[in-house]
Amino acid sequence: MAENQRPTNILDSLGEEIVRIVTPVSICMFMVVILVSVLSSDTSSSASFSTMATMAYTEASSDSSWDKFVGALLNSLVFVAVVTVVTFVLVLLFYLRCTRFLKFYMGFSSFLVLMFMGGQIAVFLLQDFSIPIDCVTFLVVLFNFAVVGVLAVFMSKMAIFVTQGYLVVIGMLVAYWFTLLPEWTTWALLVAMSLYDLAAVLLPVGPLRILVELAISRDEDIPALVYEARPVTHDDSGLNGRVVQRRVWRDRRNDISNSGDDSNISTNSVLVGNESENHRINSSLNVSESHEISDSNSNFGQHNVTSLVRAEEGQVVDINSELVVPLLQQRINVPCIAQEENVATVENLVLEGIGLASSGAIKLGLGDFIFYSVLVGRAAMYDFMTVYACYLAIVAGLGITLVLLAVYQKALPALPVSVLLGVLFYFLTRFLLEAFVVGCSLNLLMF
Amino acid sequence: MDMEASQTNSENPNPNPNPNPSPTPIRNANSISSSSPVWPTIDGPLGLSEEDSMNYARRFYKFGFLLLPLLWAVNCFYFWPVLRHSRSFPRIYHYVVRSAIGFTVFTTLLSSWALTFSIGGTHLFGPVWDQLVMYNLADKLGLTNWS
Repeated sequence: MAENQRPTNILDSLGEEIVRIVTPVSICMFMVVILVSVLSSDTSSSASFSTMATMAYTEASSDSSWDKFVGALLNSLVFVAVVTVVTFVLVLLFYLRCTRFLKFYMGFSSFLVLMFMGGQIAVFLLQDFSIPIDCVTFLVVLFNFAVVGVLAVFMSKMAIFVTQGYLVVIGMLVAYWFTLLPEWTTWALLVAMSLYDLAAVLLPVGPLRILVELAISRDEDIPALVYEARPVTHDDSGLNGRVVQRRVWRDRRNDISNSGDDSNISTNSVLVGNESENHRINSSLNVSESHEISDSNSNFGQHNVTSLVRAEEGQVVDINSELVVPLLQQRINVPCIAQEENVATVENLVLEGIGLASSGAIKLGLGDFIFYSVLVGRAAMYDFMTVYACYLAIVAGLGITLVLLAVYQKALPALPVSVLLGVLFYFLTRFLLEAFVVGCSLNLLMF
Repeated sequence: MDMEASQTNSENPNPNPNPNPSPTPIRNANSISSSSPVWPTIDGPLGLSEEDSMNYARRFYKFGFLLLPLLWAVNCFYFWPVLRHSRSFPRIYHYVVRSAIGFTVFTTLLSSWALTFSIGGTHLFGPVWDQLVMYNLADKLGLTNWS
């Protein structure tokens, strides 16, 4: 007799979720484009910028194209190799349950990014605009900014808006840093990272897949910096007098029939968690069970992957751990069928299992933010025409990935489709479209 | 435990506080009234329960004294419903309002100093100004060389 309240419109809820993930990505890209165009390279060309990513080969503008190409390939291979190794180390640590170390590491690297990279970019801006701030004020403000950022990333229950804002800022800072790499290296790196992401998530031996399967089996959060969109709630969900637990995976102990979903679990997937439904179901299970799981969630906090440790004046920047999370994560809606369940609620769950009536959160890894923004930032270094083209390509790729996710209910890598489309569109725009548009405009044909 | 936390609120919108909810969410929709908030945090049901809020508010307040006025500001932002409906959460209100006062005082002091510095310039401070301003200092310390 009980009737479930369906969401008003599937388009509304699905569209709302997509908007909530595309908006921060767009904001991050926009900020990076602004930074790139404002701080346009008076910083000398790549000569003085030697990092791990340019270890194999430092591009000089006098080299021939073939040399640059080979050098860029070498650089990107080295980088991908380092990232793979570091990811495996991370998986190992996660397996050995070194959660405190991982959390500490995450906080430490966020602090480094916010304090040092944020500080440097702020100093650049101050210099460019000649803003007369004294060092005391600057240091206090920067210190505040960095510490609150670390807390936002560290603590699982900070204000959602603050956490999301800081994640976007961290993505922006790291992406700006990446745009300082030499050009050929950047493009080779982007393509290499998207291929790596594809392999690491879909192959059974891939580290990201292993990581997610571990996380699922233990019902914990994945240790990485992950942007979590605010879940779309229906009218009824806020009125239960209970705190909605932001659980990663459903409680699968009472599963009876979820064979279909089991096989779909792997690392990269868009997580569409259903908090309110989760909670309604879980409340019919042991209270202590869900409480303990929420404890483990809050202990784990959120996650880290990027860390940039600056060595001394030796001009060597070392990326300690790369972004494990070029992932979209999907909360698997495992239909939980406990004894006292009402059929109607189960039906609601099954609907959500398909991802239609979902009221959950989509998680997007910070690595995705960073590489999208690097692509757009590098396009901005050429012209704004390429920026528009690449932005559209990336958003289209993201949409395609989300759709594929809903179709396959499987972890999918978020980088390949968007980045490869973006690279394709960049080169097409640069070499074909620009000639056409400029020619037309010069001849007053179209502008 | 989280389920019982909301019982301490002045108005409990859920007529079924037991752990076995009926699967009719619609019924709850009619029983809420808008006079007092259920949730002390700005995130609403995604945020903290009242005891957790108490701990967080107190910790934010105390840590803010370590030269972290932004933490006080975050405290006020996060517990904005508490500031608006002060009577519902008296204990949390105590900390949040002090955070707000601390933030305002600190910001006034800091901005007055910063404005004095930037507007005063060399004719107020003399040559020390050039040594204190950030961009010169960064040049001197070599902070602007990208590593």
